[in-house]
Amino acid sequence: MHIKDLTLTNYRNYPSLAVEFDPKVNVIIGENAQGKTNLMEAIYVLAFTKSYRTTKDNELIAWDQTFAKVEGTLFKRNYHVPLEMQFQAKGKKAKLNHLEQKRLSDYIGALNVVMFAPEDLNLVKGSPQVRRRFIDMEIGQVKPVYIYHLGQYQKVLKQRNHLLKDLQRRKTTDTTMLSVLTDQLIEHATIILAKRFLFLDLLMNWARPIHEGITQHKEILSIAYDASIDIDNDADVDTIKQRYQAVFEQNQQKEIDRGSTLYGPHRDDLIFYVNDRNVQTFGSQGQQRTTALSLKLAEIELIKNEVGEYPVLLLDDVLSELDRYRQSHLLHTIKDKVQTFVTTTSVNDIEHETIRQARVFHVENGSIIKQEGDKS
Amino acid sequence: MYYPEPISKLIDSFTKLPGIGPKTAVRLAFFVLNMKEDDVLDFAKALVSAKRELTHCSVCGHITDQDPCQICTDASRDDSVICVVEDPKDVIAMEKMREFNGRYHVLHGSISPMDGIGPEDINVPDLINRLKDDKVKEIILATNPNVEGEATAMYISRLVKPSGIRITRIAHGLPMGGDLEYADEVTLSKAMEGRREL
Repeated sequence: MHIKDLTLTNYRNYPSLAVEFDPKVNVIIGENAQGKTNLMEAIYVLAFTKSYRTTKDNELIAWDQTFAKVEGTLFKRNYHVPLEMQFQAKGKKAKLNHLEQKRLSDYIGALNVVMFAPEDLNLVKGSPQVRRRFIDMEIGQVKPVYIYHLGQYQKVLKQRNHLLKDLQRRKTTDTTMLSVLTDQLIEHATIILAKRFLFLDLLMNWARPIHEGITQHKEILSIAYDASIDIDNDADVDTIKQRYQAVFEQNQQKEIDRGSTLYGPHRDDLIFYVNDRNVQTFGSQGQQRTTALSLKLAEIELIKNEVGEYPVLLLDDVLSELDRYRQSHLLHTIKDKVQTFVTTTSVNDIEHETIRQARVFHVENGSIIKQEGDKS
Repeated sequence: MYYPEPISKLIDSFTKLPGIGPKTAVRLAFFVLNMKEDDVLDFAKALVSAKRELTHCSVCGHITDQDPCQICTDASRDDSVICVVEDPKDVIAMEKMREFNGRYHVLHGSISPMDGIGPEDINVPDLINRLKDDKVKEIILATNPNVEGEATAMYISRLVKPSGIRITRIAHGLPMGGDLEYADEVTLSKAMEGRREL
């Protein structure tokens, strides 16, 4: 799939913009604070109906304006699909094929986007929460039922934590309710964990060869799921369930004493190893970056596998952080199959060959002032 | 905007109703001003008597103007089955069906530790008392299919199980007369789980 064109109205610092993209590589060049990332964000918004930079939709509306609009034409399976997102103070509207979609979940998924921004380095360096969100987002993109179980799990978890606090403070002594909530928790936790295991296996199968390629076969990447309970990564649903049941039974008093749920998917983490060494603690800056990159590229293949077409790739300010070899390897693997958007402050940061084939946009203060490259 | 006190009080009262925003409240209040005095009086009386004359049935907890309620005193109904629901509105929904001929028990809520609602805060102890009567053979748990409703159903089933009374839970799945293609993923997956042999 690729994005054919994009139209912005009152979107952040773009009063109005209409632009046609190259189906392969698009390079967006501009000084800092001119609107490069805003353009990337707009594409992201078109895919996910919300920004990755803010939770407040109102921030997307240009200063002094009452609404913002992002429109784009998606080319997918030989069809043109018009997409439209409208933002107003009172809410947002998502239109697919000019038809408003009442449920955003019916809209999300039309356009698949994989984004790689400097923040994504946190995937390796950051807190476990970042990695859990990564895994949840990825599974959610292709398995809507997973999102449901995750939501239910969070609700039960909240209830259970409250009850555990009440038990800790001796406001109640009713452990029947605790066992009810434990069973509910286990039901969703089992499904979540099983799906995560499955996903992780797929992810690793894709990420490993990619990582080897980027590092010229010097590094072998492996990913381990660090569960809060003692369990094998290939355990089946019944085994997982029994493990959870045993753990919660054994630790009931401990959980009451602490007043909180100590086991379950919300306490799990991913560990990345390069040549059997933990990248988070022992990896160099470059290794961490490459790991994050491999994961993102694996994500592209995963989506292709599930959806049948390659997603659109957004590279925000990351190309300049990679060395020449990694850069060209990256651009080589995606060339000709994935529509890619790259932002950078200077052309010099990017390999000459790539630039020659790409369509280049110069951004200044909320508008595109110059366009060059093949306009076939 | 300045309103004379009587009307501003009326507007204020209307905003307390669910689904009524400030604009609708103003519209309703001005409409009342133009109504016939008799109609307004009847309306006011209806409001007061709904509040004063209705109580909760001491047996099942349903809203009623006589205690015990009509359903509980109806001798033609089956004493052996009790349908447990969260809300009086659920009783009315069930009654519309005209298929169920047992008794009801209204919980007035669901268990939610987060909101400080425990089993004793809803009508659970009364239900347990009712079960001491040997006539009861089955309990149908018809609480809502959300996290709290499920938890409440599971909780009650655990309390009642030792007594040997049959406990059933209403099914989840597709609405009748609907199209499969319009069902959401979660409902569909529940329907798949609950499939049965033909």
